[in-house]
Amino acid sequence: MNMDKPIRWVAVFGMLLFFGLMAQVNYVQGSEAESLRTDPHNARQYQDLFNSPRGEISAGGEVLVTSPSTGKDSPKFGRAYKDGPIFAPITGFFGGSGTATQVERAYNSLLGGKDKRIANQHWFDTFIGKKPEGANLELTIDPQAQRTAYAQLKAQTAPGRRGGAVVIDAKTGAIRVAASWPSYDPNEVAPQTGDKGVKRLGELQKGSGVLRPLNDNALSQTFPPGSTFKTVTATEAMRKLGINDQTTVNTSPLKLPESGINLPNDSDSGACGSSAPLKGAYAESCNTSFGRLALQLGIERLSQGAADYGFGKHVTIEPYMPAAESDVPINFMGADGKQQHTGQDATARSGIGQENVRATPLQMAMVASAVVNHGKLMNPYVVDDVRAKDQSELYKASPKQYGEPLSGDQASQLQDMMRAVVAQGTAKNLQGMNIAGKTGTAEQDGNPNARWFVGFAPADNPRYGFAVMTEGSGFGATGAGPIAAAIMRQVLKK
Amino acid sequence: MNSLGEQIRSVLPYQRRNAASFALLAFAMVLTLSAFAEVGLARDGYLPAGLFTYGGALLVLAFAAYFVMAKFLPYADPLLLPLAVALNGLGLAMIYRLDLDTSEGHKVAQLAGKKLIPDDANATGQLMWTFIGIAMFVAAVLIMRDTSKPDAPLSFTPKTAQRYTYLTGLAAIILLLLPIVPGIGAEINGAKVWIHVGPLSVQPGEFAKLLLVVFFAGYLVNKRQAMSLIGKKIGPFSLPRARDLGPIVVIWFFSLGVLFMQKDLGTALLYFGLFVSMLYIATQRLSWVAIGIGMLAVGVFVATQLPFMAHVNQRIDIWQNPKPYFDGGCLLHDGKVVPVNPDTTIYKKEQAAGSGYPGFTACTKLGGDYSDSRQLMMGLFSLGEGGVLGKGLGQGEPWRTPLSFSDFIFDSMGEELGLTGLMALLLIYALIVQRGMKTAVAARDPYLKLFAGGVSFVLALQVFVIVGGVTKLIPLTGLTTPFLSQGGSSLMANWILIAILVRMSHDARKPAPQAIQDEGMTQIVSTR
Repeated sequence: MNMDKPIRWVAVFGMLLFFGLMAQVNYVQGSEAESLRTDPHNARQYQDLFNSPRGEISAGGEVLVTSPSTGKDSPKFGRAYKDGPIFAPITGFFGGSGTATQVERAYNSLLGGKDKRIANQHWFDTFIGKKPEGANLELTIDPQAQRTAYAQLKAQTAPGRRGGAVVIDAKTGAIRVAASWPSYDPNEVAPQTGDKGVKRLGELQKGSGVLRPLNDNALSQTFPPGSTFKTVTATEAMRKLGINDQTTVNTSPLKLPESGINLPNDSDSGACGSSAPLKGAYAESCNTSFGRLALQLGIERLSQGAADYGFGKHVTIEPYMPAAESDVPINFMGADGKQQHTGQDATARSGIGQENVRATPLQMAMVASAVVNHGKLMNPYVVDDVRAKDQSELYKASPKQYGEPLSGDQASQLQDMMRAVVAQGTAKNLQGMNIAGKTGTAEQDGNPNARWFVGFAPADNPRYGFAVMTEGSGFGATGAGPIAAAIMRQVLKK
Repeated sequence: MNSLGEQIRSVLPYQRRNAASFALLAFAMVLTLSAFAEVGLARDGYLPAGLFTYGGALLVLAFAAYFVMAKFLPYADPLLLPLAVALNGLGLAMIYRLDLDTSEGHKVAQLAGKKLIPDDANATGQLMWTFIGIAMFVAAVLIMRDTSKPDAPLSFTPKTAQRYTYLTGLAAIILLLLPIVPGIGAEINGAKVWIHVGPLSVQPGEFAKLLLVVFFAGYLVNKRQAMSLIGKKIGPFSLPRARDLGPIVVIWFFSLGVLFMQKDLGTALLYFGLFVSMLYIATQRLSWVAIGIGMLAVGVFVATQLPFMAHVNQRIDIWQNPKPYFDGGCLLHDGKVVPVNPDTTIYKKEQAAGSGYPGFTACTKLGGDYSDSRQLMMGLFSLGEGGVLGKGLGQGEPWRTPLSFSDFIFDSMGEELGLTGLMALLLIYALIVQRGMKTAVAARDPYLKLFAGGVSFVLALQVFVIVGGVTKLIPLTGLTTPFLSQGGSSLMANWILIAILVRMSHDARKPAPQAIQDEGMTQIVSTR
């Protein structure tokens, strides 16, 4: 009996086993490879982060963040931040465990060289297994103005309190300045710091008192906007109640409908005596007239109008880099933990940026920018372009419109109103500084005031919208206005 | 009974292919030496010292083996030796490469005053085993005589073992059981497959595998007529007699015993698959194969249903879904998996309570079975990192996977040589198996046919079980990867296997004795 036939069949079966193995290897190394590389259990991807230099981050042609070689095996490359605390609100940090914030997080894949855009452009390198190199980022930030802003905030903010400043190019939405005091030094938590950095990061996360250094005070913290919010109330009154800057409004004392308490004005003389045109009431910041306008609008319409400026949601500056949520709440969580509706009194107080109204300096700078840009609000952004190591462009920011919270005509009326604040209103101390804007002094239950100045520059032909906030005693005109003037002088110096 | 192949062969006899063999061997050496060179150039920027010691030594050994083969077995299959050398050389280069990295890790650990990890990639040791392996190949080639002269004095041929069929079978069983014997058996990395002989650890299973093939071949050659011809016919199936069924049942119990005792699905599959395939070659009855597979399936099914066999279930569960088991997972009796890795709160609780193995303790308290898929996942990550073209020798990080130099060397190869390299490796294995099968077809003696077919198929099965395991095609089993894995027993056994195939291929391929024309009317008739 011949055994050749069964031997051949067994040989065929043996081949089938090998085909099975080949198919499986193809499946694992071909189609599964990507998901295996990015599996959360796969420690290599985190280790890999430190084995090749990350891309650089620069602003205004000045290189701010680099990845110097450490000369050690792990990590092979560290991260160095020039003037770390000054630029930290935008750059964020890149830590030893691979955690990152702000731009370091938003552009992690491009900086780390893992992005598909790099792979696509350099497909041949990818094919032959050459490691893609991290791409370089250019920020929209004006480094000198950022430094000025940091120094000014540091000097003017009360000890143990917070300050923030944001400047936006109104035509494009490019953020020129986003400064925060206090800040932290990303160098202290960079990969090369090892365990010390991890410990430091823990301390920073905890913070002390109201200070949360990792959450900057320009983009990531909200404050009561106070009278600067009257710009939003005025906008809504123009749109929904059909008034303009010349319409006479009642500035006499306002008895709040629910409690019967008077809503106070800073002074009950001048424009705030009995009645004035809207422009005058705005320039002198009469609380009573804006409280009345808010009551006429109702909290729903006020909140809706504010939403057109960006209130009520996280404004996305860059993908995975949202700002904190500014809000004009219709319902809010009361002290007893129950949802409460904003009542009449609270609506009046919301109209002057108190009660539960919260805003980031970024949000108020957006309000100013919409006023500057003829009512068109541009989406803010901080990364201008991304280039691969060979200078080929991988990404270029394209300005996008966020919305149109007011008409061009209304915007120019508001511009005039802001100029009037400096010319004849609450910020006469800023005359001759080529800026215009609205002052704000928000009370914070027993804590120092949030002092604001929100406006634009240059005063006659505006291009930039800005918002400056510092905490301390006194008023917005003196506690924030001069800072804004100093920053804008630097921004306009070109 | 002249098959078509035999008719062709009578017109076109096999040629000596020594030149082809030499060229292929030279190519295999070029492959190996370039692998060594690349390791050094990629890691340090200059040719490594290992190129001259390890590469050079392998070069000398390989060509010594070639000249012995060319002198004594000129008609041997030209492919087998170069293919085996290529695999052995690439494995040695990979182990050398892993040795460099782990030795560096050792230096760091020494500086930090940490305890050294006991098992490691060891290129010098592997070179020594390669030397012994090839020496055994040479010795086997020299010792074994022509099978056509079995009765010559002092002759030892592949057929000699046929006379001692049952003794070989007994030896195989003893070898398999040795590791369980207290005193000489040793448990390394949780597997009881080792014995200590003086300073060495030996895996007797590797040799038992060969002896089992000898036993099966001898047994089946005797019984095959009876087994294939006698029996009741029911429909298309011809059922065997009860007494012929005996051996199958014995092997079945034996395989399931391996499964139960060693928790090792792969090894059970290896022995049972080998037996069923040889049974099929011997009897040509598919019904035997069906019965065998059916019995194994029933056995495994029953095992998964028994509560005390939960670990079999677990092996299957880890294979299907390894992620929850990463760094420790706990399979409960209702089939749910609770992760008990160091990030979980129950792990931390046990750790705080002072348990040495917090994950295991936590799992025991939950009443489930503990297991860890870390190694398998790390191996897969290694493959993923390699992608299509690989990182290049010396440029990846295959040392991250535990046992990257032995059980998981295939994954290490995958990381640095990529999908392309693995396809080449699998093709080399497939070619060895096919040359073995060809030898089986060409052999004239039924015993030798069965023997050659058996050793070829067991090689294919072993590669399937271990490579399938580390690529998650089948549940993972700790077997050696033939010729690649670090380890002496495996290298020796496989080199002997190649020597036997080479010897048999020479006997099968050499031309039939020529008629001596001077003798006038006398004609010698071929024994074929």
